[in-house]
Amino acid sequence: MHLLLFNIIDQIRSLGWGGAFELLRNGIVLGSLYSLIALGYTMIYGILKLLNFAHGDVYMVGAFLGFGVLTAFGGALNPGIGLVPLIIIMFAVAMLGSGVLGVGIERFAYRPLRNAPRIAPLIAALGVSFFLENSAQLMTNGFQYNYDAFQLGGKNGNFGPLFDPVFTVAGNPVTVVQVLVVGSAVTLMAALIFLVSRTRLGKAMRATAFDQEAASMMGIDTDRVISSTFFIASVLAGAAGVMYGLYIGTTFYFMGFLAGLKAFTAAVVGGIGSIVGAMVAGVLVGLIESYAIGYVGGQWSDIVVFGILILFMIVRPTGLFGAQAIQKV
Amino acid sequence: MLKKVGAVAAFAALASVLVATTAWGSAKAPARASAAAAKTIKCGKTVTIGIAYPATGPAASLGAPQFDWASYAKKRWNKSHKLKIKLVVGDTKLGDSPGLAVPVAHSFGSNGKMLAVVGPAGSQEVQDSIGIYKKAGLVAVSGSATRIFLTRAKTGNPRETPKGYFFRTVPNDGQQGDAVASWIHNKLKFKHVYIIDDEEAYSQGLANQVAADLAKFGVTAGRNHISQQQQDFSSVVTAIPANTQLVYIPWQLPGQAQTFYNQLHAAGRHAKIMGSDGTDAPGTFQPNGNGYVSGFPVDFTSSVLKSFMKAHNHQPETFGIPSYTATLVAATAISKACKAGHGKTTRAAVRKRVPKVKLSAKAGLLGFGIQFLNKNKATYQGPGDMGGTANFAIYQITSGGSYKRVG
Repeated sequence: MHLLLFNIIDQIRSLGWGGAFELLRNGIVLGSLYSLIALGYTMIYGILKLLNFAHGDVYMVGAFLGFGVLTAFGGALNPGIGLVPLIIIMFAVAMLGSGVLGVGIERFAYRPLRNAPRIAPLIAALGVSFFLENSAQLMTNGFQYNYDAFQLGGKNGNFGPLFDPVFTVAGNPVTVVQVLVVGSAVTLMAALIFLVSRTRLGKAMRATAFDQEAASMMGIDTDRVISSTFFIASVLAGAAGVMYGLYIGTTFYFMGFLAGLKAFTAAVVGGIGSIVGAMVAGVLVGLIESYAIGYVGGQWSDIVVFGILILFMIVRPTGLFGAQAIQKV
Repeated sequence: MLKKVGAVAAFAALASVLVATTAWGSAKAPARASAAAAKTIKCGKTVTIGIAYPATGPAASLGAPQFDWASYAKKRWNKSHKLKIKLVVGDTKLGDSPGLAVPVAHSFGSNGKMLAVVGPAGSQEVQDSIGIYKKAGLVAVSGSATRIFLTRAKTGNPRETPKGYFFRTVPNDGQQGDAVASWIHNKLKFKHVYIIDDEEAYSQGLANQVAADLAKFGVTAGRNHISQQQQDFSSVVTAIPANTQLVYIPWQLPGQAQTFYNQLHAAGRHAKIMGSDGTDAPGTFQPNGNGYVSGFPVDFTSSVLKSFMKAHNHQPETFGIPSYTATLVAATAISKACKAGHGKTTRAAVRKRVPKVKLSAKAGLLGFGIQFLNKNKATYQGPGDMGGTANFAIYQITSGGSYKRVG
């Protein structure tokens, strides 16, 4: 234990302020992705009280759809169209495709179980997750597919403009792709908050989440609201998948498992059902992971992240922004 | 409603039959395995070999080339031999928890037609299942289990596999670790190295071996770990000291290694990178002009390799080649045992033939001839390992992306 502490202090010293900033930057970018995925978990839980374990796999499908578009336009090394329209189409196709997939999952796997005991849709969610993972594995031969995002828009194999620095802090560059990931995530989250708090659909979603039966009696088409929730949650996951591909540079069939688990952790830590909670906790999980890897060592990062989940459950079972549920007895 | 009740009843009945069959199967399995061990098997026109590999799960991308190469060996063997071979697949789900290496071993053991096994893929899987194979009298020839102690006793401990039951067509971690550390110290003359393992038994064993060897040479070696599911290495890159000259990544997934290299490079780090046989995949792992890998001294111009690539639309990866060789070893041993038994044989007879199998470098595709040791050799090798010149080569990855042998 002493040795571990000594190593951590030594690592903090050797990385200095520059390293601390790099870890902060890395954590925020990674956390933004977790936040987007966590929002899906929290929205679906909020409305159906269902832990949609297949959500991480929808994110994986989004990443593959983005990769498919990139490939269809000639790949990162030789794209047939300009960088900006290409990225817009990648996002559009991945978001739309993931959204449709989410609606399909709800319609065919969860809706028939709406009135079944709560364990049944949970098992169905696990089944859908395995189905998507293994289907992707069969279709991709289990290989990782490289976005080559580093070369996207670059010439002669050099880094493309996505990796140009936008500004530097203490000598550490913050690149275009990092700004793109954080900026897009913040915009999508703001749009979601607007949708939920200021639109008719948002009002219907809140009503359905509060009391599905009462909402139905008030004339709200709850099936449609639930489908819309799945669509929006999956659209966010699809966007996160493309961002991941552009930032990290790769996609593979198993990528949704760990990212989904960490995003789920974020959703729980934030207070499952709370949109703001999922956003804040997603970034928090990203930061904790980043500092754990940088200062403690990669082998400790998952222990630290999931240790926090346990701690939060003990100290604050409702999470950061979760409300105490009042139950009629 | 009646239809629904009928369907549920039919499903329940089918499920009960399946459960009962499975339960009966598992209770009888050990007895059937022992019976199969002693049974005389008619060779007929086709003999059966099991292949235990990760067909699904997190390590499926490693299993796919192993299966493809083993199937390719079967295809080539069947074209040129009267006695055909048939592969029976066992998915061990390496990397999943719990893995299925043990149930696969039970199932192979109970298969009355099975004469030998190619695999298991992981060293941990070998440790877990070799007792079952021994009980069933089956020989296991692995193309990727590289842990030293599977074939060589550790001080104060016996070797981890019974002699005569486990063979491998891949040099072990000790041999690869020595080759890599010597190259870093003697040829590259680097003083500051950073080692990152992927937390799997293969990677940790190799990383430990290289770290120990480098320490003997007085080379400073920092250490970190990642998981096979990890793809964001930005914070790992931050943790690498600025004076690092080479980052050694003995990982199993070449795509993951390439992602790491891209992120290292994007962060403005200019350290060289070195992978192991797990990342020996031209076309996938391409740290052009900045990298090295240790791998089998494969002849990339070989017509067999070229025709495999053509048939499988693959990049010229070499990780699966030892499974091709392992399949040939098993097939050769069975063929000789069948011939000696005049069309009949036993698992014991096949097992005794395996250590006598010899394949030329050209036939085995690995760049060295296959001949198994019958006693300990040097520091790391023991019976079940290959003797002769079996070892790893070092490749430099040129700025054009090709692999050039340099050591």
